[in-house]
Amino acid sequence: MKSILATLVAIAALSAPAAAQEGKLVLYTSQPQTDAQQTLDAFKSKHPRVDVSFVRDGTPRVMAKLRAEIEAGQPQADVLLIADSVTMEGLKKERRLLAHEKADLSAYPAGIHDKDKMWFATKLITTGIVYNTKAPLKPASWLDLTRPEAKGLIAMPSPLASGAAMIHAVTLTSNLSQGWKYYEALRQNGALASGGNGDVLKQVAGGEKLYGMIVDFMPIREKAKGAPIEFIFPSDGVSAVSEPVAILSTTRNPAAARAFVDFLVSAEGQELATRQGYVPAHPGVALPAGYPDRSAIKLMAFDPQKALNEDGANKKRFADIFE
Amino acid sequence: MSDIGAIRAGARRDFAPPAAAGPSVSLVRLTLRDGWILVVLLAASLVLFALLPTGRLIIAAMFRAGSFVPDTALVEITSRAALRALAHTLETGVASAVLALALGLAAALAVTLVDVRGRRVFSFLFVLSMMMAPQVVALAFIAAVGPSSPLLNTLGLAPEPGSPNPLRGAGGIVAVLALHHAPLAFVTLRAGLRRIPRELVDAASVDGASRLRVVTQIVLPLLRGHIVVAGILCFVAGIGNFGIPALLGLPVNYLTLPTLIYRRLSSLGPSVIGDAAAVSLLLIVLTVVGLLVARRLTPADDARLEAGSSVEGMWSAGRLGPVLQAAMALMLVLVLGIPLLSLLTAALVPTYGVALTVDTLTLDNFVEVLVRQSSTARAFRNSLVFSGAAAGLVALLALPLGYVLARYAGTWRSLIEGLFEIPYALPGIVLALACILLFLKPLPVFEVSLYGTPFIIIFAYVARFLPLALKPVTATMAQLDPSVEEAASVCGAGAWERLRHILAPAVAPTMAAGALLSFLIAFNELTVSALLWSRGTETLGVVLFSLEEAGLVSPAAAVALAAVAVVTLVMLMLDRMAGRLPPEILPWR
Repeated sequence: MKSILATLVAIAALSAPAAAQEGKLVLYTSQPQTDAQQTLDAFKSKHPRVDVSFVRDGTPRVMAKLRAEIEAGQPQADVLLIADSVTMEGLKKERRLLAHEKADLSAYPAGIHDKDKMWFATKLITTGIVYNTKAPLKPASWLDLTRPEAKGLIAMPSPLASGAAMIHAVTLTSNLSQGWKYYEALRQNGALASGGNGDVLKQVAGGEKLYGMIVDFMPIREKAKGAPIEFIFPSDGVSAVSEPVAILSTTRNPAAARAFVDFLVSAEGQELATRQGYVPAHPGVALPAGYPDRSAIKLMAFDPQKALNEDGANKKRFADIFE
Repeated sequence: MSDIGAIRAGARRDFAPPAAAGPSVSLVRLTLRDGWILVVLLAASLVLFALLPTGRLIIAAMFRAGSFVPDTALVEITSRAALRALAHTLETGVASAVLALALGLAAALAVTLVDVRGRRVFSFLFVLSMMMAPQVVALAFIAAVGPSSPLLNTLGLAPEPGSPNPLRGAGGIVAVLALHHAPLAFVTLRAGLRRIPRELVDAASVDGASRLRVVTQIVLPLLRGHIVVAGILCFVAGIGNFGIPALLGLPVNYLTLPTLIYRRLSSLGPSVIGDAAAVSLLLIVLTVVGLLVARRLTPADDARLEAGSSVEGMWSAGRLGPVLQAAMALMLVLVLGIPLLSLLTAALVPTYGVALTVDTLTLDNFVEVLVRQSSTARAFRNSLVFSGAAAGLVALLALPLGYVLARYAGTWRSLIEGLFEIPYALPGIVLALACILLFLKPLPVFEVSLYGTPFIIIFAYVARFLPLALKPVTATMAQLDPSVEEAASVCGAGAWERLRHILAPAVAPTMAAGALLSFLIAFNELTVSALLWSRGTETLGVVLFSLEEAGLVSPAAAVALAAVAVVTLVMLMLDRMAGRLPPEILPWR
């Protein structure tokens, strides 16, 4: 009896720090609305006393809001969960991020998270090609999208609306021999780049367009629900982002912010990612149905430093072609 | 009014013997002796609301890091995207103005010259359609056509799923802008038509000229000035419009200058604010040149006609009556009937794309946006509070400012009034940009930033809508007999006292009308708040826009209808006050 009591006390003591978090927590995120809500709900069930709310938009627009708030001297966000680590590196350089020294990363291979523990990868999100099953052409490589059969029938996310699309543009233009001429050719072929990945999904699934560039999880989980679409990993390779999470140095609730990060990188948080249809960053957590094995996904080379330096110029270049 | 009577009576008693001590009444001049504080207020308001925002914008466009670099602005203005947006702005602006002018002219001619039944009701409803916010109109038309249209699905006429919405892109923007601005041309042309002396037409009719010849050879040439002015006004309104190209153009990357500025700032943040300011110079130049030309060409208002000599209703309708009535009804169906019906069906179905039947009919969308969703409920509250506060401030400011303008400004009056109109005349997105430039960084002394607070939005509303109250208040004051004030002044009443006890009661109805009119427009606006909102300060226009962007057309339609209800209510209130207001305050009268 005594030992049971002692065990209970010990368990209570162990779980106390986690459960004791409270106060307000504001998350700025680029996750789709329902995914963000699920993530928050799962976190809330573990930390019911944290009053967590979120603002949701594409990474560039979330960052535009945050940048303006920073200039006004009153950043509202405590935690940031956005598409790419390049943006996080930019914030880290400006000393806008708070290190989470005690984060438990033992399950992860080296090099996947920030070495200074300022941002943490939560997923692996690649960008490939989606097509409507009614489409006459079955694309296999990126260049197939410049073929005349696809003219006027292509949708793609804009780097002005999506962080993954920005990384994708930088990756493609530095890996394909055509460079930016590839995007010029897409424009010539009538490709429409206006919204985010959600808009691409809507247009290809609805048949308004037949081909699209898109992040993997959207078409894979919609296909499972019966949408008339197919997703492929092109033969030339795919680009990838890691949807990192970070705590802002100006957070007013560091304890709750750390608890949020801990939750996302924990096995439990990673299993939630799998249930939502994402490839989790945690190597020990299984992939959702519909994906090839991790090792079968061919990632293209990517230079984060160069991408960071040329970020503004690249966005303008893209906008100049498509807008 | 009774106060004025009392002072008048008192004045007569006190000054009955002209030989009484002191100067005679005719020598009592209103001086600035005690009114200097009013002049300071005028100067401060002019700087704060008109000159500072515009000036800051030009500096931001021309200077980088403190040094004058106009070539950076030039590079930005001549970039591919900016030139494309300029071309789009011009083509939609010109095409929509020509169409709006044609519609407005046809309606104005029919309603003014012919004594057709129902023309009063038509005028009221036609102009009422202009009071619907652009984004509401755009949403209504998007929801009215296309494969998911609840209206077409209900009628069984919807095109095949997957086909694109035909209104997205240049054609749709031109069509919806033209319908939205046709009443603007109508109002301007009607004012011009009323000034044509009937004798000219009668003389021609005696010579046996047909009605058609009278219109083409007498009326239209006489109306030429007003036609050009109406066209320019529609053009300026078209190039500055945000709600319509935002909903119809952004999804297909058909960008105009206002939507280009919006997209750059909302996607790239404050780092590109200088570039956005440079692009906004294009809009400023187009707007200012357009309005200056219009001002020069506006025919003088001195030819006042004697009663009964106007061309108003001079021809009996005769056999043409039913044809004209049918055309008028069709016009109202287009500008009011289809939009409202479309919003209603979209709001009453559970989700966009479903046909409206007895089984699918639901009020869920209204409950959702008015009660359940905290962000939309908050937006209603915000829009009420922001536009209410701005309306109150605008009316309070108009009293002393209008007083100085009417009594002391002399020949400067029209110039100062013109300067106050800058923030109203410029596209809202340009004003919003200027406000960010002014208020993003923490204020010098107070060390707090207005950005992210309601105050930045309220400031922008006051700057933008001040002329709506200032102009009529100044006009009313100018018509008041100054002798009453002179009398009060001799009795020792200072400027403030004269303002409070004599002028305020006399212009109160005009102030109230100005406030309500400002409220009406501010409550619905999107252009200004699209860039200025932050977490917690969303306005009604902003939530409507983001709901539509997210594809949630049915909840967006519910928001739009609730807004239309509020606007209609305020318009009815204004209309009831009409008898006590100076003419030409209410655009629909």
